[in-house]
Amino acid sequence: MASQADAHAATFSAAELEFLAEDELIEIVPNMRMDPLNLICGDFGPFRPQIATQVPVWLAVALKRRGKCTIRPPDWMSVEKLTQVLEAERDAEKFQPLPFHYVEISRLLFDHARDDIPDIYMVRSLIEDIKDVRFHKIGTGLEIISRERTYALRLKNLSAMEANIVRPFVTRALQTFYKLSSPDMIQDSDSVSNRQPQTANRGPRRQLKDR
Amino acid sequence: MKIRTIKLREAHKNGENGGNSFCSILWDQQGDRIVTASSSDPSIWVHDAQFPSVNPKSIKHHRDGVTALALSPNFTCLASGSIDHSVKLYKFPGGEFETNITRFTLPIRALAFNKSGTMLAAAGDDEGIKLINTIDGSIARVLKGHKGSITGLAFDPKSEYFASVDSTGTVIHWELQPGTILNTLKGIAPATFSDQSAMNMLSWSPDGDLLAVPGLKNDVVMYDRDTAEKLFSLRGDHVQPICFLSWSPNGRYMATSGSDRQIIIWDVDKKQDIDRQKFSDRISCMAWKPHGNALAVIDSKGKYGVWESPVPSSMKSPTEDIPNVRSNGLLLFDEDEEEASASGSLSDLGEDSLGEPELSSRKRLRKNSTLDDSWGEDINDELDLHPKVESHKKASKSKKDSIDHEKHEIKNSMTYSAPKMQEAFQPGATPVQPGKRRFLCYNMLGSVTSMDHDGYSHIEIDFHDTSSGPRVPAMTDYFGFTMASLNENGSVFANPCKGEKNMSTLMYRPFSSWASNSEWSMRLEEEEVRAVALGTTWVAAATSLNFLRIFSDSGLQRYILSLDGPVVTLVGLKDELAVVTHSSPALPSDGQMLEFRVLNVRSATESLRGRLPLTPGSYLTWFGFSEEGQLGSFDSKGVLRVYTNQYGGSWFPVFSSSKLKKPDENYWVVGLNATKLFCVVCKSPYSFPQATPKPILTLLDLSFPLAASDLGAENLENEFILNNMHLHQIQKRIEENAAAGRDTASIDDEAFTIEAALDRCILRLIASCCNGDKLVRATELVKLLSMEKSVKGAIKLVTALKLPNLAERFSTILEERMSNEAMGSTVLHGNFKFDAPVQADDVFQRPSLPESSTEKAVLPFPPQRSSTPSFPKEEKTEQPPNAGNGIVEPTRALRVGKTVEVKNAGEAKDVKEAINPVKKQPEEIPVSFNRPSNPFAKKSNRQEHSSLFDSIKKMKTDATGKR
Repeated sequence: MASQADAHAATFSAAELEFLAEDELIEIVPNMRMDPLNLICGDFGPFRPQIATQVPVWLAVALKRRGKCTIRPPDWMSVEKLTQVLEAERDAEKFQPLPFHYVEISRLLFDHARDDIPDIYMVRSLIEDIKDVRFHKIGTGLEIISRERTYALRLKNLSAMEANIVRPFVTRALQTFYKLSSPDMIQDSDSVSNRQPQTANRGPRRQLKDR
Repeated sequence: MKIRTIKLREAHKNGENGGNSFCSILWDQQGDRIVTASSSDPSIWVHDAQFPSVNPKSIKHHRDGVTALALSPNFTCLASGSIDHSVKLYKFPGGEFETNITRFTLPIRALAFNKSGTMLAAAGDDEGIKLINTIDGSIARVLKGHKGSITGLAFDPKSEYFASVDSTGTVIHWELQPGTILNTLKGIAPATFSDQSAMNMLSWSPDGDLLAVPGLKNDVVMYDRDTAEKLFSLRGDHVQPICFLSWSPNGRYMATSGSDRQIIIWDVDKKQDIDRQKFSDRISCMAWKPHGNALAVIDSKGKYGVWESPVPSSMKSPTEDIPNVRSNGLLLFDEDEEEASASGSLSDLGEDSLGEPELSSRKRLRKNSTLDDSWGEDINDELDLHPKVESHKKASKSKKDSIDHEKHEIKNSMTYSAPKMQEAFQPGATPVQPGKRRFLCYNMLGSVTSMDHDGYSHIEIDFHDTSSGPRVPAMTDYFGFTMASLNENGSVFANPCKGEKNMSTLMYRPFSSWASNSEWSMRLEEEEVRAVALGTTWVAAATSLNFLRIFSDSGLQRYILSLDGPVVTLVGLKDELAVVTHSSPALPSDGQMLEFRVLNVRSATESLRGRLPLTPGSYLTWFGFSEEGQLGSFDSKGVLRVYTNQYGGSWFPVFSSSKLKKPDENYWVVGLNATKLFCVVCKSPYSFPQATPKPILTLLDLSFPLAASDLGAENLENEFILNNMHLHQIQKRIEENAAAGRDTASIDDEAFTIEAALDRCILRLIASCCNGDKLVRATELVKLLSMEKSVKGAIKLVTALKLPNLAERFSTILEERMSNEAMGSTVLHGNFKFDAPVQADDVFQRPSLPESSTEKAVLPFPPQRSSTPSFPKEEKTEQPPNAGNGIVEPTRALRVGKTVEVKNAGEAKDVKEAINPVKKQPEEIPVSFNRPSNPFAKKSNRQEHSSLFDSIKKMKTDATGKR
């Protein structure tokens, strides 16, 4: 993972992101009976055998480790869905909608609940492929920044891990562009005095690339 | 070409290690059933063509894979040949085994009936073809001449000739009468040798003029009937040899399947392919539907399906023109039977057809004059279809046959139209699916699954709660158990009887016992277990003799009861055993007539009995106890009913799947509790879940099938009814417990929470009534509130909603209620002789008493129920201060509430002493009420009191009057 390569550049480490992702909800099928858990983040349960319920990922993993439940992989983690996403991801320039923490959640499930995921090898390789395609897209997309003067980027459907990787570089790059472009604008601003320098400096607003 | 997919369903297990097997498929006469067999499965399955998900019927008498199937032309007799060397006959459609008609020394490969059904040809790896008289099973002739294993047999529809093909590709043309070889065509068909899943076959055209044989060039070659000359071939897009072919019933079309996994439909006249269909596996057998445009196919993996309209609708239907053929009266055999016959896989029966290709090219020797006749008629038919002159003999014969046939049909239709009494079932069992694990029992506790292997099955018991349930080792079952029931303590199994040797057995297996070998089994002679159930210390089985046998858990035979009718299902919970039986044959209009009984096994008493209602036209699919011990039933139309003792014991429909408006989902009920239904949601073609992966329960809210009300608050209304129902049940339990002298504290708490929930629900209903401007309804609802606090809440609510008029009414109700309460308690305390009047007023004071009685008491009276003489007076005195100032209204309302409360506190003491002595004068009483410390209380107190006093006085006079 690119983020691990230059972890110091990233805002969060992968482990930190995983920690954040553990608050996402996931469906489990408990095999024990337990009263509802009243936690700060909310109430979960009651747990009844063979009846699915929603819990945070961390709780699911903890229960799974003790053999108290099976985890139901989320809808998007099925082979058909992922195949569709992968195809769409390859064809379209936009990012396909995937859960914000898809990298982390899939990773957690692969680590802790491999027996609950049907066709795990297929799913795993599909997710890897999707991840590669998306990172590649980000890589090529970033070239645009340097080719033209850009002041803002809109990246829809970017996942946590991806945002984490591009964030340090992109924000700094954009800042730099901004800095570089402002002196010219200051010179110009004499002629167009009555305008707000800030907005004027932006120049003609570019159609933001939707990716 | 359009791309369609034909959904194939699994009918048979795959061959060993996933290999291909030769499968066969047949239609019945009406096209209602499909019969399939596979060379890797000893069972023959009879599927329902319209409802493929319906449990198929298995016919299992062979000991090894079934390689050949044939239906007699009148569809009453099914023949099967197997690798176990035997040919067996069964009744059809019943499937009862009739006889082993013949045996070989090597596996059978092909079977065929002749046109009249009097003769069956069987052949296989042995060298001879046996022609067997079906009536007595005698061997009429053995035809010897083939060198390899014989894989295809076909009687000429005109019953003159017989053709056979072997695995080396040699076709022999026999003359039936002397049984001699007419022609031997060596190596004209592809040699298949070792591949048992692709067998050579051949087929006469329905008119008998052509013999179709798969050719060497991936084509179909047509040979002349008499001379065995090659006439023409159908050649097209098959890239590998053809392995099966089937003429359409009218002979106009032909379906061929190749090793290249495709089916091609040909127009035989034009020698053109019309349509094709690709499959994932080689199709090893096909059959045209006898009526209509459909082709049943089965592939070499044992999956079958129906290709609807293989012939485009723009072209003539594959079954068109058959009626003409019928009047044609070609030969000595039954036209009607011909008409209805399917072109079976091996018994190649068909119709005389008009579609004779290549008329001009035919130069044949006519062997006899009848043929000449028929030839002429054929031509006529083809030209203008004008009526034929039939010879007298033919006519009479066909007439007789047609009568026979009609009789047969009438019988058929009789059995079809009369609705059947549903068969016994175990709640939570899924039907048999070949090669798959299935549930014998799935309940809220765990599951019992069974997987059929050859000759035995593998039974596993799992508890949902793995931490607390006992771990039960899997067991091997040689009995073939089909029924099971499971609870915390043990499991019970039973099997139906199969033939004479295999008796019906009942077996109980405790999960834990201090003694070893505490499992037991019972054998039932000439009796068959239909349903089983178990409870805390007992096991019950209902049998085919309508006996209900009750055993103790150690195997002691305790009771044998005679049931009123054939059993439908049994369910046990703790001491209670619920039995559902048929009370009468199913009604043609309404469906099943069922009744139920609940027996208490411990005390040997009957606790409930009654009819079991079902949605018209449906049948019972689930029956059981809820977690609270209430009876519930679920029918095939998706309605869940719960038994309550309200209205003298009735079933309330508490869930209807049609109301959920999810047509693609089926609900397979597992259990229920007071508010939820536990079920497995199945996607639409399936009505039951698969055993693996273990199905997950879904919770659905119970909801009465309410009418669409003008209020638009159906959820609330539903909750209202539901809570009322629960409250009633709980009160019932409290009464029972109190009667039994047990502690009711915990149930009381429960009742209180439900009352609170009900009040909340009513308050919300009041709000929506107010918003919907249904003020009368709101007033009525207020009366149903059980707690004073809630009434006050209601008053606050309506004042906030700016409905002063209503607030006023509500406070009147509240006051009325307080007074009644006070009075009620007084009277109760003071004098128990006044039972009747107290009851009546009690209703006001505590609607929490049996809810039904509350409703009965309250509903008939409009809000002006305050007609007890005292109240008009009270209202009068109350009115003046309010009339003027609408603004002060809210505070007033509240104040009244408060005052009443305060008053109430004082009253409890005072009223007692004040009223107990009946002769006390009214003037004395205000004195005793001067105590209240609340300044607001003063005025209202007096009013309240006087009214109270009046009503009490009245009551007493009433009571004395009565006395």
